[in-house]
Amino acid sequence: MNSAYLTYAGKRLAQAAVVILLAYVFTFVVVSILPGDPITSVLRNPQNGFSEEEIAQIVAAQGLDRPVLEQLWSSLANFLTGDLGLSMRSHRPVTTMIAEVLPSTLILATSALVLALLLAVVVAYGTQVLPKRYGQGLLRAFPALFLSVPNFVIGLVLIHLFGFQLGLFRVINPDSAWATFFAAVTLAIPISAQIAEVLIASLDHEAGQDYIAVARGRGLRPLRLFTRHLLKPSSLPVVTVIALTVGELLGGSLITETVFGRTGIGSLVQRSVSTQDLPVLQAVVSLAAVVFVLANLVADLVYPLLDPRVKLLGARLPHARASNPAGATAP
Amino acid sequence: MAPHDKLTTAFPRTLPAERSAPLLEVENLDVFYGANRVVTDVGFALGRGKSLALIGESGSGKSTIARTVLRLLPGSARASGRVSFDGQEILDLPERRFRPLRGRAIGFVPQDPGNALNPVRTIGAQALEAAALADAREPRTARGLILETFAQVGLDNPQRVFDSYPHQLSGGMLQRVLIGLAVLPRPLLLVADEPTSALDVTIQKRILDLLSRLQHDLDISLLLITHDLAIAAERADSIVVLKDGAVQEAGSTAAVFASPTSLYAKKLHADVPALNPHRYAALRDPGVRRLAEIGQAPKITVSNVTKTFEVDGKELTAVNDVSFSVASGTTHALVGESGSGKTTTIRLLLGLEQPERGTITVAGETITGRTRRSMQAAWRHLQLVYQNPFTSLDPSWTVERLVREPLDRFGIGTKVERADWVRAALVDVGLGAHLVGRRPQALSGGQRQRVAIARALVLRPDVIVLDEPTSALDVSVQADIVAVLLELQAKLGLTYVFVSHDLALVRQLAHTVSVMRHGRIVEHGTVAEIFENPREPYTVALLQSIPSGAAAQIRTRQPRPAVPVAALGQEQIA
Repeated sequence: MNSAYLTYAGKRLAQAAVVILLAYVFTFVVVSILPGDPITSVLRNPQNGFSEEEIAQIVAAQGLDRPVLEQLWSSLANFLTGDLGLSMRSHRPVTTMIAEVLPSTLILATSALVLALLLAVVVAYGTQVLPKRYGQGLLRAFPALFLSVPNFVIGLVLIHLFGFQLGLFRVINPDSAWATFFAAVTLAIPISAQIAEVLIASLDHEAGQDYIAVARGRGLRPLRLFTRHLLKPSSLPVVTVIALTVGELLGGSLITETVFGRTGIGSLVQRSVSTQDLPVLQAVVSLAAVVFVLANLVADLVYPLLDPRVKLLGARLPHARASNPAGATAP
Repeated sequence: MAPHDKLTTAFPRTLPAERSAPLLEVENLDVFYGANRVVTDVGFALGRGKSLALIGESGSGKSTIARTVLRLLPGSARASGRVSFDGQEILDLPERRFRPLRGRAIGFVPQDPGNALNPVRTIGAQALEAAALADAREPRTARGLILETFAQVGLDNPQRVFDSYPHQLSGGMLQRVLIGLAVLPRPLLLVADEPTSALDVTIQKRILDLLSRLQHDLDISLLLITHDLAIAAERADSIVVLKDGAVQEAGSTAAVFASPTSLYAKKLHADVPALNPHRYAALRDPGVRRLAEIGQAPKITVSNVTKTFEVDGKELTAVNDVSFSVASGTTHALVGESGSGKTTTIRLLLGLEQPERGTITVAGETITGRTRRSMQAAWRHLQLVYQNPFTSLDPSWTVERLVREPLDRFGIGTKVERADWVRAALVDVGLGAHLVGRRPQALSGGQRQRVAIARALVLRPDVIVLDEPTSALDVSVQADIVAVLLELQAKLGLTYVFVSHDLALVRQLAHTVSVMRHGRIVEHGTVAEIFENPREPYTVALLQSIPSGAAAQIRTRQPRPAVPVAALGQEQIA
């Protein structure tokens, strides 16, 4: 790890922090200027049956009677200390509510990402080594096919096949290992299709490069050629795609959790939207922003480690050009 | 040579050496890409420790044959016939049985060293793969072997090369690395596919010298693929001339080079600039006379021009106090290797960059210190023909629109006049009227470059800057383009600034020459002065790097034992 990289990483971290703060402010502003003020739409809604006294209490507790700018300021200050306020419905700290459901979603999303990567790499490997006539066509159709099937359809088919027909898991026990696995598969398939699409295109490009022919000429076995030579340069664009699909992972988990009846961030969002629980919504949107920014931050930090040709902004190349007995340098 | 001896003792050849039988025999080879036959009934034989050159232009099938021998053809290709290597039929050999031969018995040196190593892995990591072929699996032995080999191929700091990534080394160094990796497992055969065509001339010569030396020292057979007859003549014992996938002529180098019998080999011989320095003497004459006229103001004057760039925080003087002048109606050549500053010089001349110091005048008008807007007027008299006609023409435009664009841009003439001028320009460069509706895709490389010349010509400029106008073209096409350029000069009195790294070509068409190195002009003079009486050691080195087939002429004097090339009944296929 050299100083150029550390400088670069420091800059990226600072940028990420700024983006997260801006995202928080933006969400706050959007929620504030949305038509309908929370007091009338939620609290005075006769269905909810709050008494005037209770309303006054909630308004005071949430600080809804203060000017918007002041609200933003205190909410931002609280956000920075990790205090996300109280839910309007349950009056419990939003942080606690998120902490309850986050692990379940994290498990689902992480296993889905791992599955998606494995599946994409296997499919992509197949397109490179299988004979053209047989397996390749099918494998190359994989991304297009699974990108076009909606997430919930895959989920329903899997529940029907493995839950009802084969009885691998009980549909009413959503936290069993099998149920989690199939939920993760549901979430993974469209994402792996995206990754596979980019990876296959990238592999096709790299496989046509001279250095692959030269490495083959060195007598490498196909699997070694793939793992040692093809995979790393081809995975460069994939890093970017993965960072982008993390957002999709969040959106997808909302649907998947609903289909499989799991509790998680998705079900929390669903509840908060239907009850217009603004502090919870604000918190979840900010969380999504944080996850998205972090994913891109990781991609930015990983990229220079994977590709030595990347020049870090404002940083000198780590190696000076070696002395040059053969004459000219490349232009 | 100590490193070499160690190599030999550590990894002795295990294969039996039946010295008399050819190492590589190709018979009746046909290769198809889908339904296209790209190689037809090719046959040749390469003896042990000998060298054979497959020579031809693009589309001649020479690289396809090399890849057939290496079994690196793409999946869509089918090869039939017989290829036997060291007594083994390799065409039908299952991949599993052929793989052990790759690298170990057959080494491969590719065309473009810049793209032949994995960009995201260190050179050391890739070298260890080659070392594994030499059964050096223990890391320390392998590393020692690699460093020795790097030293053997003339790399100065083997340890640093080992730790570097490919993009940190120059093209010449990378080609040395690749040659080192190819010879490290001590193969019987080395296949070199245009090993120097991406390199500068002086480096080209050194790499070829290295290949010849290793071939001799390590007793390796060399299959050399090249488009350059002069290189083939210097480096190979025998030559196979290919055209459109078929053998035109084959035999010992001395025979093919000194007295070609097939029409195609004769034409190839005539088109190589190095072998025919005075081919265009008649067309060059008007310029020579102009040069002799006294008291005429020069068309172009460049005086004391300096340009500096900042690269990675360091100042780099790309052009350093450069001065030259060009007489009207003559050709001035800027010669130098990559990084010598010739491209920056023409960018300054075209007003695309502004120099820090110095002035440039073209046809009495000052180019330097102008605004973009006032450059417009100057560009009417100052046109550029770019290096690569495959990328310099918009693929979606027709020939007519491409050539007319400068007229449209400058708003010259009526619609009818413009159409006339476009036709006239196309006639000037020898393109038929039936091509006006075509798009670049449907044109050959030579036709594309003619379109690019017509485009420059249509404004009737005084000066045309030619930036390596033929370097992307085959020799026979190059000869056509050179002829067109010289005819236009003789007819229209054009002044050319010709940028090239190809000294032989410069000798054929230029009147005066500036030799550039590290941003400075090291020598300046008429073509006769520079080529017949060079004063600077660098110019001498450049001139000596021109492959001239000199070795072939020596070979004719001392007859060698029969070269095992069987022409295999290949008559001319016209």
